[in-house]
Order: sequence, then C-alpha cells, then structure tokens
Amino acid sequence: MLTLAAGAATFPGFSKWTFACGHVGNAVLQIRPASYQPLFFDPQEYALIERLADIIIPADSTPGAKEAGVSEFIDLMVSRDPELQNSFRSGLGWLNLRSTSAYGKPFLGLSSSQQIALLEPLAYKAKFRKGEQAGRDFFDLLREYTVMGFYTSEIGLKELDFPGLKFYAESPACPHQDDPEHRHLPAPKF
Amino acid sequence: MPKHIYDVIVIGTGAGGGMAIKTLCEAGLKVCALNSGRRLDPDKDFRNHRMPWELKYRGFGDPQTHPRSQTDFVGDSEFVQGAWENEAAYTQAPGTKWGWPRCSAVGGKTNFWGRSSTRFGDIDFRAASLDGHDVDWPVTYDEMAPYYTRVEKMIGVASTVQNRPSNPDGSYLPPMNFRCFDRILQAGAGKVGVPYLPDRIAQLTVGHDGHPACHFCGDCSSGCEVGAFFSTPFFLLPVAEASGNLELRTSALAKNILVDDDGHATGVAYVDRNDRQEYEVYGRAVVVAASCLESARIMLNSKSRHWPTGIANSSGQLGRNLCDHLYGIAASGYLPQLLGQPSFPDNVSDSSIAWMPRWQNLQYPHEEKFIRGYSVYPDGGCWEFPAYHDQIEGFGSSFKLEMKRRYPTPVSLMTQIPTLRSDKNYLDIDPEAKDSYGIPKARIHFQWGENDLKMWEHAKTVCAEVLHAAGGVLEYAADIPENPGYSQHETGICRMGNDPKKFVTNRFGQTHDMANLYVCDASVFLNCTDKPTTLSILVFALRTSDFVVEQFRKGGQ
Repeated sequence: MLTLAAGAATFPGFSKWTFACGHVGNAVLQIRPASYQPLFFDPQEYALIERLADIIIPADSTPGAKEAGVSEFIDLMVSRDPELQNSFRSGLGWLNLRSTSAYGKPFLGLSSSQQIALLEPLAYKAKFRKGEQAGRDFFDLLREYTVMGFYTSEIGLKELDFPGLKFYAESPACPHQDDPEHRHLPAPKF
Repeated sequence: MPKHIYDVIVIGTGAGGGMAIKTLCEAGLKVCALNSGRRLDPDKDFRNHRMPWELKYRGFGDPQTHPRSQTDFVGDSEFVQGAWENEAAYTQAPGTKWGWPRCSAVGGKTNFWGRSSTRFGDIDFRAASLDGHDVDWPVTYDEMAPYYTRVEKMIGVASTVQNRPSNPDGSYLPPMNFRCFDRILQAGAGKVGVPYLPDRIAQLTVGHDGHPACHFCGDCSSGCEVGAFFSTPFFLLPVAEASGNLELRTSALAKNILVDDDGHATGVAYVDRNDRQEYEVYGRAVVVAASCLESARIMLNSKSRHWPTGIANSSGQLGRNLCDHLYGIAASGYLPQLLGQPSFPDNVSDSSIAWMPRWQNLQYPHEEKFIRGYSVYPDGGCWEFPAYHDQIEGFGSSFKLEMKRRYPTPVSLMTQIPTLRSDKNYLDIDPEAKDSYGIPKARIHFQWGENDLKMWEHAKTVCAEVLHAAGGVLEYAADIPENPGYSQHETGICRMGNDPKKFVTNRFGQTHDMANLYVCDASVFLNCTDKPTTLSILVFALRTSDFVVEQFRKGGQ
C-alpha cells in the first residue's frame, strides 16, 4: 500500500480521463486536475502534440483526439521510454524546421490549410517528397500513438461501437443465416 | 528428528503437474507440490472485464518495462501482474532466436492458455511408419483414446464430430457459433477445397461438472475469474486439496533432484524465493512437470557422481530433439462485404472459434513437397484494438471514417506448423551463465528446418487463395514466421520410447534409468504435430499418474 500511495502522490493525473486500477490491483483515487501538467514535453512541444493529434483524428460529427485526451496519453507513454523521447523530440524539431523553411514560422503559427499542406506529403505515398523521410517516419510514429491513445479511450471505442466485454447467454452467431457469403447485406451504415 | 518423506514430490502445477497432483492425491498418496511462483487470486489478479482506458497504460504496458524496441515477450502484461517471469533463465546459441515465456503462477500457462484441444491420432503416433522420418511413438491411438475421453469429460471441450482422417473425434459440448467472417471464410475455403470447421475448444459453452458456463466476454487470455475454461487452479487443484493429501509450496523454485548413494531419486532441492535459501524435500517418487524446457534444465542441472551429465541421462538424449510449432501470419487482410456494417461481438473467446485442420498428405504421406502437415487458425472481426490502422493512409475525418468502416472486416490466418526432430535443435546448460538464484541457465540451440519452411510457404499460398476465394483483400503475409518459442508448444527433449539407449523415459513417462523418477509434460512427446499440446499433456500425464499409483499399490515405490 505504501508504494502505491507514493506512486499516486507523484502522479499529477490526467485532465481528460482517469484509470480505475493501480499497479497492484487496487483502486486508486485520482484527482482530475483542470489542466494537464506534461510529464515529458515542454509547453510548446505539448501544444504541438495536441494540435497534431487533433489534425489526425479531428472532432467532426463525433468527438476527436482532443476530447479523448490523446496528447495526455502520448506524453505519459513517451515519458517512460527514452527511445521514444528521442524520436518525438527530434520529430517535432524536424517539423518546426520544415515549417520555418517553407513559411518562415513554426508549425503552430501556420493556418490550418498550411499545416495540412505540410503534413500531406508525409502521410500519402502519392505525395511523398524527396528528403522528407525523417518527417514521414515521425508522422507514422505520431499517428500510431494517436491511434493507440484514441481507440483505447472511452470516446474512441464508442466511435467504433466496440461490442466486447459484454455478457452473453450463448456465443453470438452470425445473424445472416441465409447469406453465407454475405453478398446481400443491407447497405453500409457508414 | 527423522526427516519427513512424502509419497511423491511433484515439480510444477501446470497441465502435467496439476493432473499428476490431482490423480495421485485422489488415490490417497501424500503429495508435496513445488511451484516456483505465487498463487493467484483471480478476483484481484485477473484484470479481465476492464476496458483499456481503465488501465494506466491502456493495456500496452508500462513502456519502461515493455519498451517499444523490445518486441519479444517480456513477462507480465498490464492485465496480469506477478504471474510471468521477467527474468530470462536461458541463453541462446549464436543464430538462435528463441523466446521462452515462463508462467510461474500456480497453474502455470493453463491460467491463460489458448484452449484449442484436439486429439492426437495414429496419423501422429505412427507418422514415422507412414513417411519414414524419425521413429513412431511408443503408444497407439487405441491405447490413448480412453484417456482422451476421460480428460475431455473432466475439462469440457466444445466442438462437433467432424470425421476428419487427421483428427479423431471425441465427446463434445455444443460448439461455439460461427461469426459473419467465419461463414464468409468457410465459403472461400470450400471453393479452394480446404476444411474450415469449429475448433475443439476447452471453453464451457454450457455449465459442466459444477463449473459455470462461459459468459463470452472475450477476455480469456487475461485469465477467467469464474473458471469457465479449464485451468488447474479451477479444475484440478481443488480436488487434490479436498483430499487432504496435498501440501503445495509456492515460491519454491526447483533447483535439482536429490539422489541417494545408489543414484536413486530421493527428493528435490529448491530455493525459497522469499528468503533465497535452499531447502530440501523428500519423497519416495519424483514427478518432473516444470514445463518442457524447465524440466530438462532441472534434470540436466541434477549432476552427481552417478549422473555426471544430468539425472537419468544414460541415453545422452536428455535435452536433445527439441521440437516446436512454427506460428506465423500466413495471410491477413479484410472482407469488403462487411465494410461499414454494424459492429458485431466477434471476440467472445479471445482465441480460435474456428480452425482449418490438417488437410495435407492425408491420402498419401508424400503428396506434397513436405512430409506431415499443419493446421491454420483463422481470426478476425471487431476486436478491442483496431490493429489494421497501418493499412489506411492519411489523417483527418476521412481517416477516422475509414477506421470505422473497416472495423468489422479484418481477418487473419495463422499457421501451426510442426517441426521435425533434428540433431541441431536441443538444449544444454550454459557453462557460464547463472540466473539470479545462482542456478545455471539453459542454452537453446534452434533453427527452423527445411520441411517446416516448405510448409510455411505452402500455407502462405493456400491461405491467400482462401482469402481471395472468400472475396477478401490480401494485405499482408509475414515474410518470416514468429520467432521459435512463440507458440509455447515446445516438445521433445525427454522423449519416450521403448529403447533405453535412445529414449529418456519409457512409454509411461517413467525414466528408463530410475523407477521412481517420472516426467509429466510435453517433454516426453516425440515431436509436435499439427495439433496443440495441452490436451495431450493432460492425457499423457493422467496415464503416467495412473501408472505411478499402480507402482505404489504393487509396493514397488
């Protein structure tokens, strides 16, 4: 119990989510601070992570990365892995350098359309540009951690309509008994 | 004070040890069981029924202990703590890439196993007679069938009678139901001419023998806190404890087997992991069931004047003939038919509901360019984490929508390919490396063989055909299989056989060299087959345990 209490005391807590169990299997009472204090990123870096996650999974008809607290998750994961710290810090640096050389301003100073114009060559094979391999590697890593953070949040799994961890009286069976190849399904919902 | 002597010391409480403990205790023998880890409390230690956001690292684990660069198994996950070893007890010969996860909790890997449970048959036991490679097992299916029936009754296996030449049928609970993607893949497999059938799975589709029916939450590999699938702590150890004949010592890490002046086993030396002191426990017989590799490590570390190369090793075969299952994603992709359809609870077993049992080399042993055969486990559908994200380009609302559209569609086909026995694959003791308890580490020598890799290439071709025939899109097939050890189905290394010069144990798992030393795990198997190992470990352990009881009744021990 002592180690647990000590662990809880040093952990500042997330502003967007709480986790239910501590590392020894007991419930931890967490305080949700109004604003998140990053464990690893400096304030400028953290703001940039938050913006990038928001671009990757934006709020549209449903909530996005910002509402799901994805940047808090990324900061937590990065704070625990020196290799990730190097990759993220140098990647953010690369992006700001690229932004400055193209527009004379760091990434967060750009308009939305300028930000997207910088990211598209990193995200789509058809738009790849020479000399941007480091940027592409960073974008892949950032997108991976954004996906990890979003689709493990309550908001993200609601987005997918995650059907698991429910109780059933018998194992759920395919409801389309007359259509083994599933060639005559109702029109897609999305 | 005279030293206390038990009837039997059993090392290990997994499938083999658990079955031995239960059978021996029920027969009235006094048993002391040693287990290297602690006893789990399912209510506290199994963090199933938890959404990922209820865990601090969302189920990915603390990057400090599970760093991104480490892709091999590193022990406990965020869902289970204090069950798996984080220390490696082995080194690797140059060129070997073996991963050896060790579950030290009471019950071992049965707490978290995949539960696929199919019988071996004469096609396996007599494979050498059919194709000329290696030697036959010293048993026949007729001999083993009654034990399979007893074990299936004990643990409850859900499946259907399938009349497959490679797979003897048993007695089954109602099968798991097929999901949408199963039926689509089944139609594709039918066109290619390969079987796609309900797996044999030790998951209770109905209540069985006092154990509750499964509630299909899908979190099985985090442990089941109601015991709706077989594990020794839920199914076997309570019976042994009720008999009053079991003393279970936890945190007792077996080090070596003790021998008397004549070289006969008298007990076991172990390290108590709490005080790190060495203790001894004595018995009239010893059953080694520490899991395949660990059993050989303990026996090889049991050196004495009589046994300079390890106990019961007059054949020189102890540690030799290591076999494994080659696992790998032979094909994965998605089913466009299901794009944008509502999500469906596909993950209700966290393992295989369907399987594609061996279809190769059934009519003639040399139909294919390889001998023997393999099986394939399909999976897919709406899982907890959308791992297909790296197949979708871009970002923004279009990316988010495509992630949602793809959610019900992913499918993958994973191989279970048996390696053939080879002189190159074995385990010895590293002369230089010791674990943190001062016990010499095992050293593993292992490479995939030519026959195994031919099967892997064959599987990739056929699985791609199945996916295409089902109307699916193939996106990925692994270039190379998972590392050896990944399946946790290692076998061999204390092989059973009639000739004491060539085999470590006889056909009952009793060592040829010593009447009161037995082996009860997959190390007595001659090789892997296209089937998983746990059911057969239980079956062979039951038979060996019956044999031990008989020896005691006859007064031989």
